Amino acid sequence: MINGWELVIGIEIHAQVKSKSKLFSSSSTEFGSGPNSQVSLVDAAMPGMLPVINKFCVEQAVRSGIGLNAKINNKSIFDRKNYFYQDLPQGYQISQFKDPIVGNGFVEIKSDGQLKKIGIERLHLEQDAGKSLHDQDPNLTYVDLNRSGIALMEIVSMPDMKSPEEAVEYVKKVRSILRYLDTCDGNMEQGSLRADVNVSVNKPGNDLGTRCEIKNLNSFKYIHSAIIYEAKRQIKLIESGENIIQETRLYNIESGETRSMRSKEDAHDYRYFPDPDLLPLVLEEDWIENIKGSIPELPDSKKERFIREYGLSEYDSSVIVSDKSTSDYYEKVVQDRNPKLVTTWVTSELFSVLNKKNLSIDESPVPPKHLGELIDNIDSGKISSRQAKDIFEEMCKTGETAYNIINQRGLSQISDESELKKLVETVLSSNPENVKKYKNGKEKLFGFFVGEAMKLSKGKANPKILNELLKSKLNT
Amino acid sequence: MFKPYILENMEFDKDSLYKLGKLSKIKIDESKLQSLSSDLGSIVEFIDRLKSIDTENVDPTSNSLDQSLVMRDDIASDVNSANEILENAPQKELDFFSVPKVIE
Repeated sequence: MINGWELVIGIEIHAQVKSKSKLFSSSSTEFGSGPNSQVSLVDAAMPGMLPVINKFCVEQAVRSGIGLNAKINNKSIFDRKNYFYQDLPQGYQISQFKDPIVGNGFVEIKSDGQLKKIGIERLHLEQDAGKSLHDQDPNLTYVDLNRSGIALMEIVSMPDMKSPEEAVEYVKKVRSILRYLDTCDGNMEQGSLRADVNVSVNKPGNDLGTRCEIKNLNSFKYIHSAIIYEAKRQIKLIESGENIIQETRLYNIESGETRSMRSKEDAHDYRYFPDPDLLPLVLEEDWIENIKGSIPELPDSKKERFIREYGLSEYDSSVIVSDKSTSDYYEKVVQDRNPKLVTTWVTSELFSVLNKKNLSIDESPVPPKHLGELIDNIDSGKISSRQAKDIFEEMCKTGETAYNIINQRGLSQISDESELKKLVETVLSSNPENVKKYKNGKEKLFGFFVGEAMKLSKGKANPKILNELLKSKLNT
Repeated sequence: MFKPYILENMEFDKDSLYKLGKLSKIKIDESKLQSLSSDLGSIVEFIDRLKSIDTENVDPTSNSLDQSLVMRDDIASDVNSANEILENAPQKELDFFSVPKVIE
């Protein structure tokens, strides 16, 4: 709600399938290659070329559909979506219109502490377009077709979200599910996952308002602020007696504003029709069942398991499972260790280092095994938590193990009584003269024995226990 | 024997004609409007004959052999296409196609 207005938000997510080759051609999909180096004759729409569908992409769409609790359609149709643009050599995009590969589904998000279901209308497969570069030359637009024909899954939500927070939670959830399924890498910066957000406003109890679509948002932050800006813009227009025009808008990341994308206004007549080059896609039931059997544990059930198995709080558990790599890392460390200690170390110490260095957990300078060893040393009382922080800092810098750093620095305390007793006995037996003097009243020599014992233990003896042991030994 | 189906005086309405031109990025010359409109009109009229066939129980893109899509494995084999692909480009810069500036 903004000033008594309700927001209605629906989202289309474009998620790039993590395939090696394109949806209908054998060109590579690798990111960052030289311009136009990964363009087959099919992608360039040379006359007479025929599209042949990539089986892996179909499987990933089905996997994703299952992960989104959605209906998998045994028969789906590819259509041509016609529009004219310089980065679309075919003059049409192969997409799915009436009969998509995946139908209705849902995901659950947390909103104001409550579980909320967000409906999925459909998921369909389509080709990505090429890339236009407008800023390389004052008079020309450059076109790179490497992206042209890469498989996208378009995931269309129901207009079930009521706030920018819910919209962000929804995209986070879908991204997390796709990453668990490994069907899309979810890299928003590289554009592997981007969102088109539909926003409208209305007074409670009234009909829905006219919606505007904000295209190509590629971060959670932009999704959030674009929705707020757009809702406020619409409210201001309506309150000053004007009408909202249904249109496509672009979000400017520098100014935080949305503006009309006039060039696309006329293009909304896509004249969809079934692609005569492509027969219906028919999926056998046992083929789908086979894929169902290969679906890994997804974030929602993993979260429940972490709460159950490791006694994590709801909050800690959702933080850890929201990213698959983080949850994998956590499980490698926790094993039979103290989950509470592991949680603190992963979510505060490790996260803060990763944030500072802008690294993902997969690039962590401290592998799970090393962090586990450090935690073992804290848990056994060998090092204090203050020392542990210094050691951890050193581990991040050098990649050394906790054991090596503790030994090098002589940081570990010897608190074991029997070990210290042996130490005391060695010191006393190798200084019989001084022992005699001490016993005859030269009590100042106590300091000498402490010093010898410390020297022998390389400074690692726990001073309190050492003193007690020495005293009791010398005074008997 | 095949008899060409031509309907005299059937016209394609001008608004639709302009819209099609715009969508196809084709400039429509005022002087050609009349002849284009009647040409397109007769084509549409001809195609409209298909409407008389009952397609109630026929799926789109279905075929008489009742085949479905054949899938290929995910192998990336086409590489280093730049020279070949850009060979027919009317205009190129570096390894990009270049076109008159498109302003959004």
